[in-house]
Amino acid sequence: MLCKLAWGNVRRAGRDYLVYLLTLTLGVTVFYAFNTISMQVDIAGIDEEGLAQVMGSMLGDLTYFLAGVMAFLMVYANNFIMKRRKKEFGLYQVLGMGRGRVATIMALETVIVSVVAFVAGIVLGVGLSQLMTFFTASLFKTQIANFHFFFSMHAFNLTLACMLVMFVLTLLLNLRAVRRTKLIELMGAERRNESIKTRNPWIAIAIFAVGAVLVGVAYYRLLRDGFPLTATDSKLQEAMNQFGITTAMVTVGTFALFWGLSGMLIKLLQSLRGVYWRGLNMFTVRQLAAKVNTVCFSMGVIAMLLFLAITSVTCGMSIANVMNENLERYNPVDVSQTYVYYTPETLDYYKEYVNPSEADRMVLADATVDLYAAWHGDRKDPDNVADGIKGKSADNNDETGKKVNIADVAGEHVQIDSYLSYPLGGSGPSVVAGEMCKTMGEKLPKALEGSNADDMGLFVTPASQYNKLRQMMGEDPVSIGRDQYVLTCDMGGELGDLYTKYMAGGHTLTLGGHELKPAGDKSDEDTAAIANSAMGSNPGTVVVADELLSQLNLQPYSSNLLVNYKQGMDVTKADESIKYTLLDNLLVDGKEPGSWGVFIMRSEMYTQAAHMNGMISYLAIYIGFVLVVACAAILSIQQLSNVADGSRSYRVLAQIGCDDRQIRHSVMAQQAVFFLFPLAVGLAHSFVALKVIIELVSIFGDMSIAGTVGLTCAIFLAAYGGYFLVTYLMSAGMVQAAIATRYSE
Amino acid sequence: MQTTQTATPVLEVAHLEKVYGALGNVTRALNDVSFTVNRGEFVGIMGASGSGKSTLLNCVSTIDSATSGTIRINGQDVTRMKQAKLSQFRREELGFIFQDSNLLDTLTARENIALPLTIARTNSAEISTRVQDVAARLSISQVLDKYPYQMSGGQQQRVAAARALVTDPTMIMADEPTGALDSKSARLLLESLEALNRRLRATVLMVTHDSFAASYTSRVLFIRDGKIFTELRRGDTDRREFFDRIMEVVAMMGGEGSDAL
Repeated sequence: MLCKLAWGNVRRAGRDYLVYLLTLTLGVTVFYAFNTISMQVDIAGIDEEGLAQVMGSMLGDLTYFLAGVMAFLMVYANNFIMKRRKKEFGLYQVLGMGRGRVATIMALETVIVSVVAFVAGIVLGVGLSQLMTFFTASLFKTQIANFHFFFSMHAFNLTLACMLVMFVLTLLLNLRAVRRTKLIELMGAERRNESIKTRNPWIAIAIFAVGAVLVGVAYYRLLRDGFPLTATDSKLQEAMNQFGITTAMVTVGTFALFWGLSGMLIKLLQSLRGVYWRGLNMFTVRQLAAKVNTVCFSMGVIAMLLFLAITSVTCGMSIANVMNENLERYNPVDVSQTYVYYTPETLDYYKEYVNPSEADRMVLADATVDLYAAWHGDRKDPDNVADGIKGKSADNNDETGKKVNIADVAGEHVQIDSYLSYPLGGSGPSVVAGEMCKTMGEKLPKALEGSNADDMGLFVTPASQYNKLRQMMGEDPVSIGRDQYVLTCDMGGELGDLYTKYMAGGHTLTLGGHELKPAGDKSDEDTAAIANSAMGSNPGTVVVADELLSQLNLQPYSSNLLVNYKQGMDVTKADESIKYTLLDNLLVDGKEPGSWGVFIMRSEMYTQAAHMNGMISYLAIYIGFVLVVACAAILSIQQLSNVADGSRSYRVLAQIGCDDRQIRHSVMAQQAVFFLFPLAVGLAHSFVALKVIIELVSIFGDMSIAGTVGLTCAIFLAAYGGYFLVTYLMSAGMVQAAIATRYSE
Repeated sequence: MQTTQTATPVLEVAHLEKVYGALGNVTRALNDVSFTVNRGEFVGIMGASGSGKSTLLNCVSTIDSATSGTIRINGQDVTRMKQAKLSQFRREELGFIFQDSNLLDTLTARENIALPLTIARTNSAEISTRVQDVAARLSISQVLDKYPYQMSGGQQQRVAAARALVTDPTMIMADEPTGALDSKSARLLLESLEALNRRLRATVLMVTHDSFAASYTSRVLFIRDGKIFTELRRGDTDRREFFDRIMEVVAMMGGEGSDAL
């Protein structure tokens, strides 16, 4: 009997429950699909071990976040239902039904809807996850070798557990609502109006103004201070505190904006008499004001969530884009090997902490080592090496037991030596970016501010090596006279611009007492990489004539061997065999002048970048999408309940001769404010935050918010707009139904 | 009291029928109803619940559509009007007062009264003067800037009356306007309506089941089972006497098994 009643209720209150059902279904779908990612990665043929695992664990944390968002959404949708059904539950009690039985009916209703939503959600989720596999594959730039239908028990269980928790939660909330609420309130729930909460418009305006000022100041502070990421340790705490204040200001300011919005709107429109007293404008504004008062908090939350979503998506995808775009420039050769020399600053550190057992043989480097020669040494007898250089390798046999020599693999190669800009035994760089900025009267790029990237100064490299690299990359050599210099940097962006400006301005550099003039007017970035890397390897190098360099007697910093494989060699095979040529350590006359730095194969970088790119895009899109959809769903529920609450008003309007079109316009205007205002505020926040982020990231290249980012944002806006449209159409239908109902009923 | 009104018919209802439901389960709410209302008349329509009086008002006020028959208001046949035209017609020719005042909760009294004018795009200066005028006539000037929830039921009902009057409609439709009021507020409202009718020659059509309310009118139509049962004119009698005559008719109708009153 109770079951029948509950079922009947669900069917009759279909429209109200539909919103709840859709929200719940959406939640289940997204949640299930999200938790199948590791399986998707598998099927998408992303073969790198560990990636699935890394993603799995990252997603684990995000799952909690997602569950939180989902819980909020469901509790919200549930409250919406409860508000509408209070009167009915009250009626049952008036008719003499015990509270226990009323609660049972309600629980049964919740069960029915939850079960339907769960089943529908899982079905949709399974479908979605199959589709997403293709999306995953395209993001990670792989092909799906053998696609097959899959169902993740793990994801299913997680979703089920999550649903159960939420079900119990909402049930408890509802039971509390029924038990606590007085009968009189239940019965009068429908008629109780929120208009009692009208605020003094002047106070509202004041709050709105305070909000605007807070947000404005926060914007200013953020633009001035930037993010506290580049600050050095000593200033970090201070910077973090300042950033915390800025964050608090923008948050409080946002909520204040929404709190004061209604009063602001009323006063503004009332001052325009011709507009206010025209058509339904007055009604629209009053209606908005009454509702904004009760939902200002959730509007604030939505604005902040949209801000997060837009920023994280744009930022994540842009960084991934920049990395991808510059990948070719960052990785000019098949393989690169770096050897880093000990300097007065690092030697003690190495002796003490890194390898104390071999501290005796560590020495300050006074000259660079020919890496290829060391590497090329006769592998059968590692002690027998020309020029007293001895390379020892751990194991030079490949898997077949055959000895491998670098000469078997390497084709063209070049060594780039980087020196510090002060002589042996000296200290403190003589060419630093900060000084260059000062000379030109420019501001130091944001990303360098307060960091120690500036302390080391620019590197110095001989022209012969630089020109050889240029030739290897098919470029003409540059002639650099004894009193000339060229600046190179492969990071592009602001840093590259700085160097180009410096050269174009004809500014001179002083190196070891020699004044040098620029040879050319443009800093080179396409042949500037000194090793393969993910984010650039050369933050700034001064190329000078060889004879000047040898005369200056500078402190060696690193040697970088850039190697292309022999023509026609299969890259995969070459990658495999060159690993067996790696040297364990390198001794010069029995002493060790440095230690091995990074060994990077281009193919590895490409794969990594593709995965990184895929992962960032994936998470950004996913998080962004969930947030946007959640926001839109909340707004949608609010608006539909507003319209349902206001149906009496619409009926009155129709009766006093307002035509349908005018009423629909009023509904549209109200909903547009609710949907667009948080979006506008969120966009404004994002715009400012992104401006700062772009400045910060521009050290790695010009970050462009275009292409895929634009597309993604377009998809988000389409989803958001879609919700708006559906909400409006449903509302228009509800209004139509309300108008058509005979008023005497 | 003058009973010979200017004999221009404002409302002519002829052979009006309204049928609800489909085959096999038909409810005939109105069955061949015909009557006319002249300009400046205050007409009451009485009947028990389910007698069809509300349906009649709905049809006349163009909110519901008739199954057959014609309704002419000011010579225009509203049963043949298109939806868009109807809105305009309601706006320009009719004013409504409902049982629950049906004011919009989010608007002040002034805004509620102004609403029909803003919908009709009257200019704001004119709106202001007309609202003041009508509010003064109904003695609600002091509540103009209050919200409905800050007013008494009687004040709300008078604000609703002001909203109905502000456009100078051809006819005012009142549906149980005193239904939700205490007797004092009811009397105040009825006196206002009576005054409007007499002083400004406003035509009022009021549906009620309350004999006391009906006694303020100049003519009462009694409806039973979808038909006009009888009609009572006040003539020169005073209100109390008219009330007694109405009670007689009600008793007679009640005696035949109806549940009027």
